[in-house]
Amino acid sequence: MIRINVALILAILATSVVVINTQYDSRRLYTAVDQQSARARQLMVDYEQLRVQRRAEVSPSRVQSIAVNRLKMRTPDPSITAYVSQPSGDTQ
Amino acid sequence: MKRRSIAYSASPLLASRTPVWRSRFILAVLAAAFLGLAGRAVYVQVLDNDFFQRQGEARFARNIELPPSRGRILDRNGLILASSVAAYGIWADGADAKHPALGALANLLDMPKSALDKRIARSSDGFVYLKRQVSPEIRNKIKALGIKGVSDTKEYKREYPEGEAAAHVVGFTNIEDKGIDGAELAFNGALTGHPGSRRVLKDRMGSIIEDLRDIVQPVNGEDIQLSIDSKVQFLAYDQLRAAVEKHDAIGGSVVVLDVRTGEVLALANYPSYSPSDRRTRTGSVLRNRSMTDTFEPGSTVKPFTIGLALQRRLVTPTTVYQTAPGYMSVGRHRISDSSPHGPLTVSEIIQKSSNVGTVKISEGLPAKAMWQMYTDVGFGQKPETVFPGAAVGRLRGYDAWRTVEKATMSYGYGLSTSLFQLARAYTVFARDGDIVPTTILKTMEPVKGTTVFSSKVAADIRNMLLLATGDEGTAPRAQTLGYSVAGKTGTARKVEGKRYSNKKYRGFFVGFAPVESPRIVVGVVIDEPKKGGFYGGIVAAPVFSQTVQNTLRIMGVTPDQTVKPNINATGVKESL
Repeated sequence: MIRINVALILAILATSVVVINTQYDSRRLYTAVDQQSARARQLMVDYEQLRVQRRAEVSPSRVQSIAVNRLKMRTPDPSITAYVSQPSGDTQ
Repeated sequence: MKRRSIAYSASPLLASRTPVWRSRFILAVLAAAFLGLAGRAVYVQVLDNDFFQRQGEARFARNIELPPSRGRILDRNGLILASSVAAYGIWADGADAKHPALGALANLLDMPKSALDKRIARSSDGFVYLKRQVSPEIRNKIKALGIKGVSDTKEYKREYPEGEAAAHVVGFTNIEDKGIDGAELAFNGALTGHPGSRRVLKDRMGSIIEDLRDIVQPVNGEDIQLSIDSKVQFLAYDQLRAAVEKHDAIGGSVVVLDVRTGEVLALANYPSYSPSDRRTRTGSVLRNRSMTDTFEPGSTVKPFTIGLALQRRLVTPTTVYQTAPGYMSVGRHRISDSSPHGPLTVSEIIQKSSNVGTVKISEGLPAKAMWQMYTDVGFGQKPETVFPGAAVGRLRGYDAWRTVEKATMSYGYGLSTSLFQLARAYTVFARDGDIVPTTILKTMEPVKGTTVFSSKVAADIRNMLLLATGDEGTAPRAQTLGYSVAGKTGTARKVEGKRYSNKKYRGFFVGFAPVESPRIVVGVVIDEPKKGGFYGGIVAAPVFSQTVQNTLRIMGVTPDQTVKPNINATGVKESL
């Protein structure tokens, strides 16, 4: 009888240690997940920031000023454009 | 005796005289106390656990608001016109006023040291913002300074890559990310979204260790795709700015409409402002002139009067009217042309923009029919636009028209319209006589309009307007290379007080291209040009020409006129 009780007490102690450990692990992992998702959100924010930056780099006003001033380009007009007709049946 | 006492010691001398019931009593009391504790434990942990649960949560559980991000505003090709990026509000609360790094902080915040010192001093009484909408890089540098009592809060900043070119269309938000003008205001509801929330347990390090209930995800604002083409928008703005500066005018506007869908492809005003710079957002530059400023449309209305006469079979394009000697009397008033023309056909009346001819034609038209037609094309009607402050214009009821008013109304005086309304009205000729609702949102579907004129009348007017931009017309400068254009100039004296000014004019032009199958309607107005002429055909027509040419090129419309090729490339024989 006593032996069974001792065994049960030991089993209870062991499982409670495991429960505590698992709880600790789960919270640690939860924190890690949460930190990663916060990081993911931050990266999304950075991504949007970069997209806006890239958009600002290619804004027509900037392209126009570089093309005209630095590259000495001019706007095409129909006199310097060759128009080709797409053959019928040719789908793109 | 032995039963009545308890031996605490082996020595009989020290034998106690304590009765047994006392120890039993103590035992019972202790047992009852333990039972009481057990009962309390059950009560606290099982039966009535709310209070302690609450107290526990108050120490470790936190509500976190999940802010939604504001939707973006895109142009018709998906390019960003407005988007929210991360920024920080830098604040102080009980900061150290003698910290050695305050000079560096003032530099980073781009504010004078004395102004910063004042705010830091005020922060001894509590929270003070030092600067808002600071970029993440600056914020990191500020953090690195490690000034105690200076911290930051995350916020959003709205970026407008297109800058001042699209300012009046896109509008702007205030510091709380709420739309104040333009599309930002018009679509504020859809752009805003709804915040989410979560309730979490935090450990003493502040890390989240558990969610206490399901996360309510934030609903981000929707992206809004406008019908604006940012290239067309920029080029229109650029041409407009050049023209306003060249003629030393006080302002101007350009409107580009897609004929098939009623979409607004570009809507530019000058002077403009930079939407992301709060300091430039003041005064009259905020005005969306194309929508809010009204003027008497003058000659640009003549095609409508003549269209009505054609529609009622009062005239044909070849009917001849005598306009000599270049003036006529209506009651006590004299109506005159800028120069006498002699006999003119109806087509030539448009081409030469004859007031006398138009009034003679309008004499056969009932006032009610004219009023109805003006109303149908949108004059004096609230434009179906989302923009705040769009002007209705003025068109008085026909029963109040006097004879002379009906006469002046036929050539565009006595009623007023905004440039936007005028451009929209011209879709009637660019389409087959029907008028479509305009939209600032992208739609791909062709729309069905309300018929005002028959398609035959619309085609006749198109041909007459083509003549007006010909070499013999009033606006040869509206011509483009490769595309046929049709349109009408207008020059109106501005009203000063109660009379027309002799010095202040508005020059405008409204037309469409290509003439055979129009794709766009373009309206241009230049306000108070002071140098190099003031007629619409001189100040506004070149902007029209450039805008049409650029827009049709960007839309990929093949030129309908033959152009002498100027290509210097020499072909290389293809190898077999």
